[in-house]
Amino acid sequence: MPAPPPNREIIRNGFWAENPIFRHTLGICSTLAVTNVVANTLVMDAGLIFTMALSSLTVSLLRGVTPTRIRMMVQMLVIASYVIIVDIMIRAHLPDISEALGPYVGLIITNCIVMGRCEAFARSNPPLPSFVDGLATALGFSSVLLVIALVRETLGFGSVLGFRVMPAGFTPWTIMIMAPGAFFVLGLLVWAVRARFPQVFAAPGKR
Amino acid sequence: MKERIFSVVYMFFLTLVFTSVVSLVKHVNAEKIRLNEEVKLQAVVLDALGIKVRSGPLRNEAVTALFGERVRRSEGEGRAIYTGYDETGEEIVGYAFPAAGPGFWGPIQAMVGVDAGVTEVVGVSFPRHSETPGLGARMTEPQFRDQFRGLPLRKSGGDAVYFRLVAPGSADRPGELDAITGATMTSKAIERFLNRELDSFVAAAPRSRTGRE
Repeated sequence: MPAPPPNREIIRNGFWAENPIFRHTLGICSTLAVTNVVANTLVMDAGLIFTMALSSLTVSLLRGVTPTRIRMMVQMLVIASYVIIVDIMIRAHLPDISEALGPYVGLIITNCIVMGRCEAFARSNPPLPSFVDGLATALGFSSVLLVIALVRETLGFGSVLGFRVMPAGFTPWTIMIMAPGAFFVLGLLVWAVRARFPQVFAAPGKR
Repeated sequence: MKERIFSVVYMFFLTLVFTSVVSLVKHVNAEKIRLNEEVKLQAVVLDALGIKVRSGPLRNEAVTALFGERVRRSEGEGRAIYTGYDETGEEIVGYAFPAAGPGFWGPIQAMVGVDAGVTEVVGVSFPRHSETPGLGARMTEPQFRDQFRGLPLRKSGGDAVYFRLVAPGSADRPGELDAITGATMTSKAIERFLNRELDSFVAAAPRSRTGRE
């Protein structure tokens, strides 16, 4: 088994060079669903970071005993358990936010990035690097969601976190609140980032 | 063969461990979640009745205390009716009742408050729904809900409804209220089920109890 890469590289990769959205265009469903208001995005991000870091850690801890044949079942069980814990904690301690998020917390279970990192990294690397990998990838994903949410809420409502930022005469772009708005912002953002940093995001082999 | 049996046993015990942990977390928090839901219902009833709760720390305790003093729950016509009283606890200020109907994405639950004479709406709130955040979900914002305050319980128009949700800014006739921008389906759903629920409540109104019939 090859030695795990140093933490600095794991963080750089997870957050930036292998960013799930810029590099792999993964997790698009959550990107579309929760990014129309910044507040929802923040809580969703927190839940995702918690789930991802701990799922990667747990899958890595179990990697020596888990039979390869049933590893995906195990990953699903681990991820689902953490997500339900997040949901219960939010409902018990932050009832107002739970209200606002409704079914979206449960949607973390189906976020392919969580399972993707378990499968691609955590199941063949030691616990600590896996934890760092989960954390960095989740932070990278979350930051992109936050940027998209900032754009969408500013243009769609004229506000950020509920506070007015646009002048009084501003007409909200209703399309920004709806799913197509997310596609526009996402497409433009991915294009801009990849055009600006061609070295980082070039196709493999062309680097 | 041995590997298969190990897989089954391993999965069984792993599932046992994880579900136990989840159940434990749930059990530890169950009481708090139940209380949250109870306080939420009480706050929704008070809000629909137009009884103001002071905000600040210990809001939950304030809600529960105020609810205990000012509201009595009773069953009528297959649904709960919350009767609100004034500070003295003698004069009825209004009634609140839960209403529900299909929304665009899922059921919408509402709490409707009417005055003591069942002549106008005092307040409406939507404690549970699964409408699109930022669009249909804006029905929970005061801007939309406050329009219902003071709505006379009098049918108008050809289709004889209490209220009609029309394009925002174009409401000028009695019974017309601004719909939610970008959420036509949600607005239509609210219009349909609230009118129906108001109708059935008014028909079976606790009017007789106030001796006004």
